[in-house]
Amino acid sequence: MSTLKNKPGANGAAEILVHPAQGNTPAPCMLGCASGGDVRLWMGIVAQRGKLGLSNAQAYARAWGLITETNPFPATLGRICPHPCETACNREGKDGAVAINAMERFLGDWALQFHLPLSRLEDAPPGASIGVVGAGPAGLSFAYQLARRGHRVTVYERREQAGGMLRYGIPAFRLPKAILQSEIDRIVALGVDLRLNVAVGRDVSVEDLRERHDMLFLGIGAGSAARLGVPGEDGPGVIGGIEFLNAVNRGEGYGQLSEVVVIGGGNTAIDAARSARRRGASVSLLYRRTRDEMPAIASEVDAAIAEGVSIEFLVAPTSIRRDAIGPNAVMVQRMALGEPDASGRRRPVPVPGATFAVPARLVIAAVSQNVDWSGLEPLDTGTRAGDAGTLGDGVLSGGDMLGLGIAGMAIAQGRQAAEAVHAKLTGAARPAPPVRRASPARDVAADFYPARPPAQVPEQLVAERIAQPDLEVHETLSETAFLEEAERCFSCGQCHGCQYCFMYCNGGGFVRLDETQPGAYFALSLDRCLGCGKCIELCPTGFLSPVDAPG
Amino acid sequence: MQLLASEGINLPTEVVERGIDAYMLHMDVGSVRIRTPSEEKRIAGVFRGNGPRGSERALRVGFDRYLLDLAASSGAQVVRSLVTRVGWHEDRPEIEHGGGKRACYDLVALAAGVNSQLLQNGCDAAPGYSFPGTLTTFISEFHLGQAAIQASLGDAMHIFLLDLPRLEFAALIPKGDYVTLCVLGHDVDEKLVDAFLAAPEVKRCFPDSKVPELVCHCFPRLNVRPPAQPYADRLVWIGDCGVARLYKDGIGSAYRMAKAAARTAAFHGVSAQDFEAHYAPTCKAMNWDNTLARLVFMSTTAIQKLRPLRRGVLRMTATEQANREQFHHMSSVLWDVFTGSAPYQDVLVRSCHPGFIASLAWNLVAGNVAALAGKPYGNGS
Amino acid sequence: MTEGALGKTYRNGELIVRQGEEGNCMYVVQAGTLEVLREEHDGSVRIAVMNTGDIFGEMSIFEREVRSASVRALGEARVLSIDKKTFLRRIQEDPPLAFNLVKIMAHRIRMLSEEVASLKQKTAPPAARVNAQERRAGQDRRHGRDRRAGVDRRTAVVGRLRNA
Repeated sequence: MSTLKNKPGANGAAEILVHPAQGNTPAPCMLGCASGGDVRLWMGIVAQRGKLGLSNAQAYARAWGLITETNPFPATLGRICPHPCETACNREGKDGAVAINAMERFLGDWALQFHLPLSRLEDAPPGASIGVVGAGPAGLSFAYQLARRGHRVTVYERREQAGGMLRYGIPAFRLPKAILQSEIDRIVALGVDLRLNVAVGRDVSVEDLRERHDMLFLGIGAGSAARLGVPGEDGPGVIGGIEFLNAVNRGEGYGQLSEVVVIGGGNTAIDAARSARRRGASVSLLYRRTRDEMPAIASEVDAAIAEGVSIEFLVAPTSIRRDAIGPNAVMVQRMALGEPDASGRRRPVPVPGATFAVPARLVIAAVSQNVDWSGLEPLDTGTRAGDAGTLGDGVLSGGDMLGLGIAGMAIAQGRQAAEAVHAKLTGAARPAPPVRRASPARDVAADFYPARPPAQVPEQLVAERIAQPDLEVHETLSETAFLEEAERCFSCGQCHGCQYCFMYCNGGGFVRLDETQPGAYFALSLDRCLGCGKCIELCPTGFLSPVDAPG
Repeated sequence: MQLLASEGINLPTEVVERGIDAYMLHMDVGSVRIRTPSEEKRIAGVFRGNGPRGSERALRVGFDRYLLDLAASSGAQVVRSLVTRVGWHEDRPEIEHGGGKRACYDLVALAAGVNSQLLQNGCDAAPGYSFPGTLTTFISEFHLGQAAIQASLGDAMHIFLLDLPRLEFAALIPKGDYVTLCVLGHDVDEKLVDAFLAAPEVKRCFPDSKVPELVCHCFPRLNVRPPAQPYADRLVWIGDCGVARLYKDGIGSAYRMAKAAARTAAFHGVSAQDFEAHYAPTCKAMNWDNTLARLVFMSTTAIQKLRPLRRGVLRMTATEQANREQFHHMSSVLWDVFTGSAPYQDVLVRSCHPGFIASLAWNLVAGNVAALAGKPYGNGS
Repeated sequence: MTEGALGKTYRNGELIVRQGEEGNCMYVVQAGTLEVLREEHDGSVRIAVMNTGDIFGEMSIFEREVRSASVRALGEARVLSIDKKTFLRRIQEDPPLAFNLVKIMAHRIRMLSEEVASLKQKTAPPAARVNAQERRAGQDRRHGRDRRAGVDRRTAVVGRLRNA
C-alpha cells in the first residue's frame, strides 16, 4: 500500500495525483436572479472587456443584450428590484455584495440614451396570432419573447397606459414614468399591437379573443386591495394601498394630507407611506411583526424612516374609529411574536390588555391584494399555481395573479410561458429550464481579490425629496463607478482569464483559446497534466475542481 | 545566511521555521551525523510562498514575503499582479499584467523561475533567449507537529544516498510543524517517490517508522542547464530562469546573480553590451563551477551505486565526527556538497588533497574489512 | 529561544570571544544583548553593549591579531558566526559584499575621531574648547544630526567601540 495520500482513504501511488476539470457551477447571483438572468456572464463581459478586446461601448451593448435575453426592462428593474442576486452574492462576506442592481440600471439607462433596439431572434416567423390580456410586466415580457420570435402579438390593456403595477403601483420617485415608457415603447417597436383602454368583458369578449388568437396569455395582476376585516373599515377615508398608489400615479386627488396611518409591511405599504409623506402628511406605518420579518426592501424601509415615516412594529388594527368627518383614529392591539407560521415567520399573537389609538384622518390598508377577474370569469378555472400558469387549453398566465411576487418573477413567468407557446406552435424544442443547483459556486478565493467597498449609489437629500414628490431618490452610477464595480465581481464558478492555471502548469496542460469569452479562455488537455493540482489551488473562482485520474 | 547577515539582512525568527545545525547522511550501510563547522544553526528552514497547503493561517511570515517587504522598505514599488507577457513598446520593454494592464520600463529583470509559462516558449521581447534546461523534482510536505519532529528528526537536515533507480538524492528538512521532502532524480514520478518512501532508511526517520500522510505535493522544475544568453538590451534574466547553481544553494546563487545584474545596471548601463561586459563574467564563472559540479555529483552517484565505497565514506565521516581535533576532510566536503556552502571547484580541490585520498583509501579498506567482520560504522540511528 | 532561530545560543555570562585569543571569524547578534569587556590588569571594564543586528569581531577578518576584548552574553543571547575563509572568498566573487563592513568600520573611525577630539578638548584651555565645540556643532548640522548631551554622547561613542 502506498504511503502517498492526498485524499482520506486513498491507496496507491497514482492517487496522490489530482487532475482538474473545468466546471460550470452556477454563481449564487444567477440562482438569486428572479428574472433568470445570467448575471455572471453580463458582468463578466464588462469586467473582462479588455481581455475580450471589446471597447467600453461594445461591452455595454453586449452586456445589455444579454440582460434583455430574459428581461426587457433593465432600466426599470435596475431601479425597483429588491435584488435577491445581491443577497446571494459571495462578495457579501468580504466587503459587501457587488451592486448588481445599480449596474443593471446603468446599462439600462445607457441603452435608452443610445436608443438600442431589442433584438429579434433568427427563427423563421411562424406567424401565429397571440393574445395577451394585461400590459403589466408578465404580459409585456410574454409579448416581447414571442414578438422577437416572429409571432403576431396583440396586447389588451383596460387602462389608458401600459405597465401595470410598474406604472400604477410604484411611485415616480422610485421609477420615473418616462423610463418605463421608453422600455415599453421598445417592446412595442418589435411589432406588438398594443390596444389600450380595451377591457375584456366590456370592449371585447373572451370568445372573441379565443376566435382571434391561437393562444391567450393572462397577466392581469392582482390589483384589488384586500380588506382589513375590522369594524369601521367601510366608508370614506379608508383606502387600499394599491388604490392609493394608483390614484397618486394617475395624479388624481390627495393634494395635501394630514394624519395618515398605513397598515402593512410590504413594498406597497412603504411606497404608500412615502407617497403620503410627500403630500404633507404625518405618517404612521403599523406592522404586526418586527423589522426582521418585514417583506419590504430594507433600503426602502430605511429611506421611509429617513423621510419621517414613523413605523410602529408589533401592532395590529382592531377597529377604525370615526367621527362626523371620517376616520379619526386606528385602534390597535399590541402584539408579540409566537411560534413560526407556514411562511416560517413567527406568528404575531396579541398581548392581553395592550390596546391604544393611533390618530388618523386617512387609513391606507396595504395588507394584501387579490386578482380581479371581472370580465374574464369564463377563464377563471380556480387554478393558480403551476409552471407558466396553464389555465386550460390554449390559455396561459403569469405574474401576480399566480401569487404576489416581485416584478422580476412576473417577467420570468411571462418568458417561460412564451417559450412554452413558441415550442408548441413551432414544434421546436423548448429551452431547457436553467439548472437550479442546490449548491452554487461558493468555493471562491476571496483573498485573491483586492478589498474594495461597493459603489455608493448617489441619492437626493431628504428635504429635496419631500419638496419635490416626483424627484427620483436615487441616481444612476457614474461610468467610472460602474466599471469599478464590475471589477469587484468574483466571477464565482467561471473562468475570468486570470491565467494563473496557464502560467503555473508545468505540464502545459492549458492552451490559450483564440476565441475567448467569460468561462472560455483555455482549453484543458489532461493528457499533459502532471497531477500536481496546483491549478485547482490557484484558481480563484472555483472554476477548476478536482476529478479522478483519467483512464 | 551568514553572508546575508554580513550585509545587514538578518532573517527574523518568524521567518525561520527551523534553524538547522547538522546534516544526517543516511545510506543503506548506516547513518552518520555531520555537525555544522562551529556547531551553530547556520541553515534556515523557510517556507516559500504561502507555505504548505493548510499552513497559511499559522504561517507567520514566509521567506518570499519577507524579502518583498524588505525590497518595498528600500523603496521598491510592489505591484501585486500576475505578469502575462513581456514585449516591447517602441524602444522600451513593456510588461502586460493583471489581465491587460501595460507598463513600460527602462529595464526589466526577469525573475520568473522555470515553473511559470511566462518565459517557457521564449520571450516575445528577446528572441535570442532560450529557456534553461530543466529537471523535474518532487517536493511534498508532511505535517508532524514540532514535538514529533524534534523527537524524530531534530534540528538536522536528513540526506539520503540510496541505490534506487533514477534517484539522484533526496532530503527531509524539518520546518516548523512540517517536514519537507525533496526528491531529485531523472523522470521523477510518483512511483519513484513511493519506492523512496518505502525504504527502511527513510521510514526510520518518522515516528514509529510510519510515513505520515502528505498534506501537499508538487513536481517543480529545477534549472540544470543555463539559457543561451540571459541578457539583452534592457532585459536581464536572474534566478532560476537565468544562470543558477546546480542542485544546491538556489537562493544564494539567485541573490548573487541579482546583485551582479543590479551592479551592472547601476554602474554601467542596461544595454546588451553592458551586461556582456559586466554580468556575463559572473554567469560564466557560475557555469564553469556547475561544470565541475557534474564531476562532484558523479562521485556522489558512485557512492550511491557502490556499497564498498559507501562503507568507506561512512567510516571516514563517522571517525572524523567522533574526533573534534582531527581535520574533517570528508565531513567538510560532504557538508559543502549538500549545503552548497562552497564553490564546487573548492570542493573538488579539497577532495583531491593527498590527505583526503589517503584517508579515504584507508577507510575503504578498514570499513569493508570491519563490515565483513560484522562491525558496521556510523554515529546515527 | 524559539525553534526558528539561527546561530548559537549562549547562556547568561557565557563568553563568545575571549580577549587575547586568535580569531578566525566575525559575529552578528541575532537576538539578545551582549557586553564588550576590556580586561585590564586590575579587572575588566565594560566598554560597549550590543544588540540584535550588531556586528563584532570583524577586525579578525582582515588582520591576524588576537581579540582585543572579550564579549559575553547579558542574559540569553543568540549569535551567528561568519568565518573568515568563507567571507573572504565571497568578497572575491562579489566585492560589494564588503561594502557593509567598510561602512561600519568608517562609522567607527568617525566615532573614534570624535572621541579623540573630545579627550583632547578636555585637556585644552577653555577658549579653545568653545571654538572646538562650535566647529563640531557646525559639522553636525551639515550632516543633519542632533548633538546629544556631552555625557550621553561619550557613552554612545564608547558604545560603538566594538572591535572585540
